[in-house]
Amino acid sequence: MKHLKPLNDKARAIEAGRTPEVQPMQTVPAGCSTVFDPGWEVDFLGGVASLCQPMEADLYGCSDPCWWPAQVPDTLNTYPDWNKGADSAQRDWRVLGSVFPKK
Amino acid sequence: MTAPLRSVVLAAALTALPAVAAAKDFLLAGAKPDKLVLIDTARRKVERVITIPGGGGPGPMTIAVSPDGKVAYVVVNRWESIAGVDLDSGKQTFRADLSVGPERVKAMFGMDVSPDGKELAVYLVPARLGADEYTALDPRIAVYRTGDGVGARPARSLPAPRRIMQLAYARDGARLFALGWELYVLDPATGAVRETLPVRHRKRDGLGEPDVLNVWPTWEQSGVLAAPYAVARLDAQGKPVSAMAGLLSLDLDSGALAMNEFEENGPAIFAGVVNPVRRDEAYVVYTTLAKLDRRANKVVKRIELDHTYYNVNVASDGSEVYVGQTMSDIGVYSADTLKRLARIAIPGGADQALATMRMIRR
Repeated sequence: MKHLKPLNDKARAIEAGRTPEVQPMQTVPAGCSTVFDPGWEVDFLGGVASLCQPMEADLYGCSDPCWWPAQVPDTLNTYPDWNKGADSAQRDWRVLGSVFPKK
Repeated sequence: MTAPLRSVVLAAALTALPAVAAAKDFLLAGAKPDKLVLIDTARRKVERVITIPGGGGPGPMTIAVSPDGKVAYVVVNRWESIAGVDLDSGKQTFRADLSVGPERVKAMFGMDVSPDGKELAVYLVPARLGADEYTALDPRIAVYRTGDGVGARPARSLPAPRRIMQLAYARDGARLFALGWELYVLDPATGAVRETLPVRHRKRDGLGEPDVLNVWPTWEQSGVLAAPYAVARLDAQGKPVSAMAGLLSLDLDSGALAMNEFEENGPAIFAGVVNPVRRDEAYVVYTTLAKLDRRANKVVKRIELDHTYYNVNVASDGSEVYVGQTMSDIGVYSADTLKRLARIAIPGGADQALATMRMIRR
């Protein structure tokens, strides 16, 4: 933490170790589970070889509940129509586009 | 009784008998954006596709079914509503919209119907939306009366621990199990925690903290909630040296909780189910399908699947295993040999994504 300076209450709480209920992945398990998921996914061996095959099998299962918030739009809240009409990720992936914050 | 009347009574009885004897398995799956798919597993046919009223996308989530197999309660509408759908008529017989005013409330995986079918318990995660900030509120369990129909409001709200992923009533309805970092045994009337059984903080020499993937309710056939987990095996200095896979089993009759490792550095696993007939057998799935011996805690057989499936369920007679969710098909496999028997396509090619795959008997 020597290069980071806390700027708000939450950051100061983290620095002081007062955040007992949320912990990042510690044993590098599969995501989607009882640990806090930071928005990326590795398998429980710490690699990517055991992730979904093909990745389209996992796309909606992970994007719908915002498990990949850094990679795909949040369809539960801010971009509800991102995959509207594209009910099969494997068949319809071409119509999935990028999103941009509304001004 | 006159002879003609006796004939009428006999004829009526004979007509009714097949309905009882013909009670058989159906799979109930969900598909994007707002569909329930009822599948006759014996005929390998889709019996009915129901559009969930007010489904609202992005897809159905957790599904819980009434004990008589007639009504499916589904998390819908971007997970801010519970729709109760009559599986015969397709009509909405129950509806609970969770968000009220500035409080946005989401439901995800924790939902179960009481054994008498009169109550529905749902784990809720609320947030208050302010002009320039969101405030995370304490989670709670809302208990609805299923008879309250459309526009239902909670009959009571129970305090609940954080991070709960599964709610499951005990078979006698006297306890409500809440599974998260630990297993909490709750009083379904008050929410009082009667007992806390360690899961993540289960202390065992040479093993780290188990990480349980417990998001799919598929205990209806065996009465055993089965959830796979990963746990690091530690060296003498406490450093992880390998990853163990295990199966958590919660007996919904007795409340007995067991966690047993069965494999080291194996493939990833997402879901598990216990065979209702040969109860020492369990099946776990992800990109492979494996049969486990629960007594010996070992893998008996494993096959590669044609793609990843999140979820697995099993026939009432224990003869077949069904793999589903993720994409647009359900695979049927022999529970004995794990040989593929059939593939059932979801109409329209829609993904099932995270929608629960339940077995019902009708």
